[in-house]
Amino acid sequence: MAVDITLLFRASVKTVKTRNKALGVAVGGGVDGSRDELFRRSPRPKGDFSSRAREVISHIGKLRDFLLEHRKDYINAYSHIMSEYGKMTDTERDQIDQDAQTFMRTCSEAIQQLRAQAHKEIHSQQVKEHRSAVLDFIEDYLKRVCKLYSEQRAIRVKRVVDKKRLSKLEPEPNTKTKESMFSEKVSQNPSKDSEEKPITEEYPEKIPAEAQPELGSWGDGRGEDELSPEEIQMFEQENQRLIGEMNSLFDEVRQIEGKVVEISRLQEIFTEKVLQQEAEIDSIHQLVVGATENIKEGNEDIREDSKIRLQD
Amino acid sequence: MVGVKMAAAAAASIRERQTVALKRMLNFNVPHVKNSTGEPVWKVLIYDRFGQDIISPLLSVKELRDMGITLHLLLHSDRDPIPDVPAVYFVMPSEENIDRMCQDLRNQLYESYYLNFISAISRSKLEDIANAALAASAVAQVAKVFDQYLNFITLEDDMFVLCNQNKELVSYRAINRPDITDTEMETVMDTIVDSLFCFFVTLGAVPIIRCSRGTAAEMVAVKLDKKLRENLRDARNSLFTGDTLGAGQFSFQRPLLVLVDRNIDLATPLHHTWTYQALVHDVLDFHLNRVNLEESSGVENSPAGARPKRKNKKSYDLTPVDKFWQKHKGSPFPEVAESVQQELESYRAQEDEVKRLKSIMGLEGEDEGAISMLSDNTAKLTSAVSSLPELLEKKRLIDLHTNVATAVLEHIKARKLDVYFEYEEKIMSKTTLDKSLLDIISDPDAGTPEDKMRLFLIYYISAQQAPSEADLEQYKKALTDAGCNLNPLQYIKQWKAFAKMASAPASYGNTTTKSMGLLSRVMNTGSQFVMEGVKNLVLKQQNLPVTRILDNLMEMKSNPETDDYRYFDPKMLRGNDSSVPRNKNPFQEAIVFVVGGGNYIEYQNLVDYIKGKQGKHILYGCSELFNATQFIKQVKCVFHLLLLTYPKLL
Repeated sequence: MAVDITLLFRASVKTVKTRNKALGVAVGGGVDGSRDELFRRSPRPKGDFSSRAREVISHIGKLRDFLLEHRKDYINAYSHIMSEYGKMTDTERDQIDQDAQTFMRTCSEAIQQLRAQAHKEIHSQQVKEHRSAVLDFIEDYLKRVCKLYSEQRAIRVKRVVDKKRLSKLEPEPNTKTKESMFSEKVSQNPSKDSEEKPITEEYPEKIPAEAQPELGSWGDGRGEDELSPEEIQMFEQENQRLIGEMNSLFDEVRQIEGKVVEISRLQEIFTEKVLQQEAEIDSIHQLVVGATENIKEGNEDIREDSKIRLQD
Repeated sequence: MVGVKMAAAAAASIRERQTVALKRMLNFNVPHVKNSTGEPVWKVLIYDRFGQDIISPLLSVKELRDMGITLHLLLHSDRDPIPDVPAVYFVMPSEENIDRMCQDLRNQLYESYYLNFISAISRSKLEDIANAALAASAVAQVAKVFDQYLNFITLEDDMFVLCNQNKELVSYRAINRPDITDTEMETVMDTIVDSLFCFFVTLGAVPIIRCSRGTAAEMVAVKLDKKLRENLRDARNSLFTGDTLGAGQFSFQRPLLVLVDRNIDLATPLHHTWTYQALVHDVLDFHLNRVNLEESSGVENSPAGARPKRKNKKSYDLTPVDKFWQKHKGSPFPEVAESVQQELESYRAQEDEVKRLKSIMGLEGEDEGAISMLSDNTAKLTSAVSSLPELLEKKRLIDLHTNVATAVLEHIKARKLDVYFEYEEKIMSKTTLDKSLLDIISDPDAGTPEDKMRLFLIYYISAQQAPSEADLEQYKKALTDAGCNLNPLQYIKQWKAFAKMASAPASYGNTTTKSMGLLSRVMNTGSQFVMEGVKNLVLKQQNLPVTRILDNLMEMKSNPETDDYRYFDPKMLRGNDSSVPRNKNPFQEAIVFVVGGGNYIEYQNLVDYIKGKQGKHILYGCSELFNATQFIKQVKCVFHLLLLTYPKLL
């Protein structure tokens, strides 16, 4: 375990002070010392670089606080049914998104600027290294805060997608009754019900295709007011089949959505990698160009050299 | 139950503890808490060579970066002032270091200073710094001053050495040379004890000490006991009080510290070995967990006039993150070669999988069938892409170990190390020898002169009776013909004569190695490790002397070898000098420390010994690590000094 001897050190300082006084040695060593004291009393000139770096950090901190503050409201899915306190409309959310994005853009620009200026006027290798490392840290900080933002945005998008999905397909018990109602209504009224519109919009091809033979087979019973037991049974079976088909379609769509999300994630990864490689490819390009030049010059030299040799 | 939790945390490795201590120090002496949205804090790290040796096996440059360190610099180098940045110092409290720190203060290099001393600083030196700080009006800038008590180097979870920079001071030669004065001996002992003390402070436990009589180990034990005792008595400043022990107290029992002297067993440092880590240390340049290889690029057909190809130097760090190393560092070499091959094959399979996905992706949009195939390929692709970094890391490790193992294999084949190993094992376990020693020594193809010397020395040390004069002359002639210098032999002769063990030469257990016969190839075709002509030897567990001593003491077995070992308990009020241990129960934790130097063979032997015992843990430490070459060099030195000091002796 480490032992904190800071207090011991301070005590030593006092001891040394008193000892120096006793010995008559001026504290701080005379004229130079007093000058140092004055120098010390005036605020130490903070490097321009570090004060600006700290500014950027505090900006990013503000962004982070802003995001964290509204995070709960932002991802609250049920805000439309909650009281006013927790509410956040979609416009507000969009506003937050936009603000956050502009903020992030300004921050990263500021970092780029700092980077460009950092290496001017400085001759010391160590200070240069130190500064680029500091800038790396700040960039990393910005990335982490941006992750906050992108996480909550991803949650929001997912919720919206989920909501849409839920609103398009009725939950199961309702579906059954609606289907039976549908079949009845079909027998009475061949036109589609407005309530079923959302479903039918979604699967326009399938339902007319299914509906047609049904309509055909029910064509006989269309005019009748009462339905015979066989027909009721047929309708029931039909209902079941339709329910089954709806469900499988529903599953398929869900799968596809999942795939799309994955693909978008992959795209993100790829974009990142491609951007990373951009810098490398640039440098390779430079090298190749340089190499080509060198080879050309080399060839020239060899040609001249052989010319000269032939002349001899 | 708190006790149970502590028992579970008990065997937290020494590596973990030291790393945690370092990280806390780097975090301005405040425990480090990971915060994903925390503001970056940057700092500069200044260390001396001691600090560098301590930090480098534990923290990589990347980890330093993660802790916010932008620059890490040597204390005694040219350093430019960097405004507005705090500096963390990690140095030994020596004269020159203190002077340089005072100079830094005067030159106003940094914004604030966090001073950390590797071992405790003396009051007078602290006042020197205070003086300089006052003169530079920089007292307020010295933010914190700490004594870290980290003056030892941890190489493995359960292995440590004392130091690297001044290992000359505490080497075998230094301890055993005949012309050493009392004051010099005191200095050496103090250095060793200081490090051991730091070790126990970091471990957070006060051990029970056992040591053999009449050796340097005894001197160390006495001093260590005294130092621990003094510290415990000083209730105010004790480093072992309840809260400092905190989360890491050993289980209900205290650990056992066994201090042994190198001289009880001189055969093990000379032994040829067959396990991976020990081989790397014996045969290659392996130092503080870093191995340096010289790759000779093929120089066969260089066109006339071309510049000779330069040998590439490569160095690799063998770290705890390297899973292959952790798994196989104690395995016999053929197993290692096989495993590398297996890893390479599984890596290639994964690579092919990724490539296959690439071609499947190419079918996208062509026909319905392909699109349906895509259904779970998306998932596969995602997992492939996210596993790419892991795959790349795996490749890097495979390359690393292929290179290292190939280098080792070259040495084995060139010097026929398998033959030596087998023969030495037979000698040390006193089984009948099928080949005559003379044959091996006279064989020009087998091994360097040094290998032959090692073999002969082991034979000489383990022999029940000294070989007859005539035989000895024969051997000497053979050795000289082979190009050996006979000095080490003379030294060993003396050692044998002096050592108490002369009458009962250390026995090395009674099991043997089984040779699996000559294998022409260990692996199938395409393998890079063609072990043609190399025997596939299987190691059977046999206890080296140090392991045996540990076994006796830890399990409280009665044995003439260890019965008269001294017993120290720093926690007891009265200095107890008896050899009768108060504690009758076997120990669960033990630390073995070899004064005078140790090696990986001993370490591996201890690791193998404790593997079979549930719930027991051993830590191994030594004053320095040497391989056989380095040991022989030291032995020669000591012998020269012997000759100079006592010319009439021989």
